[in-house]
Amino acid sequence: MEQTQTAMFHAGALRQKYLENTFWYILLILMSVVTVLPFLWIILTAFKGPNDAIQSYPPQLIPHDPTLANFTRVWNLLPVGHFFLNSITVAVVTTVLNVLITSLAAYPLAKMRFPGRDLIFYALLVTLIVPAQLTYIPSFVLAVNFFHYYDKIISLILPNIASVFNIFLLRQAFKSVPNDLMDAGRMDGASELRIWWSIVMPVIRPSLATAAIFTFVNAWNDFLWPSLMLPTMEHKTLQVGLMALQGAFQSDFRGVAAGVTMTVIPIIIFFVALQRQFIRGLTGAVKG
Amino acid sequence: MTKKFSLTPYFFLAPALLVIAVFIFYPIAAVVYYSFTDYDIVTPPQWIGLQNYIKLVQDPTFWKALTNSFIYLIATPTVIVLSIVLAIVVNRNLRGIHMFRALYYIPAVSGSIAIGIAWRWMFDAQGGLLNGFLVWLGVLKEPLQWLAEPAYTLPIAMLLTIWMGLGYYALIFLAGLQNIPEELYDAALIDGCNNFQKHWYISLPGLRPQIVFVGVISSLAAIEVFNEVFILTNRTGGVLDSALTMVFYIWRQAFRFSDAGYGSALAIVLLVITLAFSIINIRVQERGLETD
Repeated sequence: MEQTQTAMFHAGALRQKYLENTFWYILLILMSVVTVLPFLWIILTAFKGPNDAIQSYPPQLIPHDPTLANFTRVWNLLPVGHFFLNSITVAVVTTVLNVLITSLAAYPLAKMRFPGRDLIFYALLVTLIVPAQLTYIPSFVLAVNFFHYYDKIISLILPNIASVFNIFLLRQAFKSVPNDLMDAGRMDGASELRIWWSIVMPVIRPSLATAAIFTFVNAWNDFLWPSLMLPTMEHKTLQVGLMALQGAFQSDFRGVAAGVTMTVIPIIIFFVALQRQFIRGLTGAVKG
Repeated sequence: MTKKFSLTPYFFLAPALLVIAVFIFYPIAAVVYYSFTDYDIVTPPQWIGLQNYIKLVQDPTFWKALTNSFIYLIATPTVIVLSIVLAIVVNRNLRGIHMFRALYYIPAVSGSIAIGIAWRWMFDAQGGLLNGFLVWLGVLKEPLQWLAEPAYTLPIAMLLTIWMGLGYYALIFLAGLQNIPEELYDAALIDGCNNFQKHWYISLPGLRPQIVFVGVISSLAAIEVFNEVFILTNRTGGVLDSALTMVFYIWRQAFRFSDAGYGSALAIVLLVITLAFSIINIRVQERGLETD
């Protein structure tokens, strides 16, 4: 009697659990339709042949006459390879230099006492609220008249090799490193530079990864400043190149779709592959 | 800590400070100066006193841009609520949940230009997916030029901003939720809380640091929005400037119409707004600490 009751109870609980999970899965699938549908539609359109409808009711999603012609058309008309190369160069060089320079600056702010430290700290803090776009007019004038790097990709790198956000993020990380570690290095007669590089930097590696990820994503997705700096097609980064694509293929939706697909798929693969580090990096910044 | 005076810390700081001085401090000073000049970037600036600011107050387009930028702030509370809900939904142990989380996250990493182009076509009159469905279902008699309708342009841009940010903010809230001790929820259950009350009384207060963080970055992003407007309106700002925002107006004045003096005055207004925001934000945080 008791056994059948517990069995029935279990069956009921299982049923309840089953219903509940079904509900959550339906919700999860509905939500992924909302986030993925535009991409899916663009990717499918990129493969549409001349006989596949662009405008129809109901909309035709699956190409009946699949072709790669759209991709070759885009590839022949626009230097997509250059776009990729330029974006990768800018993002990688910016990230490496930025993390080096900001971790160098964050170290004394966290671990040394020296005249003017508080002044520097607050001066940097204030800049956090200055919108980047505010600086673009003078930076444009500097690029043309002083640095003479208008239309060169170094114009995207140089202004971004230091960022106040990363200095604060890394300063926080350095603060949590015990002083004993550094004192041990000093006893051995190591220079401050050596202590920074071989003792303290390895300890804060997770925070360095966070800073690197942030810098990389920002450099990769930056649009307004690169669009001001790079008029020549071969010099454009991916984001600016995409905008040129939209202009060049005005009403050729298949071509635009092929271009967007070519540029977005590698990025999505890259981020999905690095998902774990990426999520840890982005969520780690909240406390920084 | 080194006792005697040493130059070491200054050497460590020098490269970063140099870059920040050249690309942040100098531009701020220069933009203040330019805002008092007539300047087309090519010929040297001419001092004209307050004329740019007088023009600004009387410029209906400026007021339109300012209003739109403030309307855009509606995106902030909306995206906070939606991403907390999303985080609560994905915060459970189901098979394949990691795949779903990644799917929600795709818009956040794909770059706003690619997404903006996808959206522009979604709302296109000829062949747009939205019209395709709506006409088929009989909601619309004929396809609508969504992005040519002044009433729809700004809301569509805001929707795009929300849609792009959702996955990233939800991740931040998810990390916050996973830091809340399970015992708190058990205690709530014993006290007879239902599902909604459980989240209202425990999840929300527990997510306070994340709400502050997302609130700050998403409201700054909203007041500084450019890319979404640029793509969806095809560099125009929309029919009748319907989606014109502050940063877009600065860009148009300074770099399209070569009126860098006036653009600088607009930029100063933007700076004052973000300053006011930060002060409000600090106040709110201080008050929050008092009540804690």
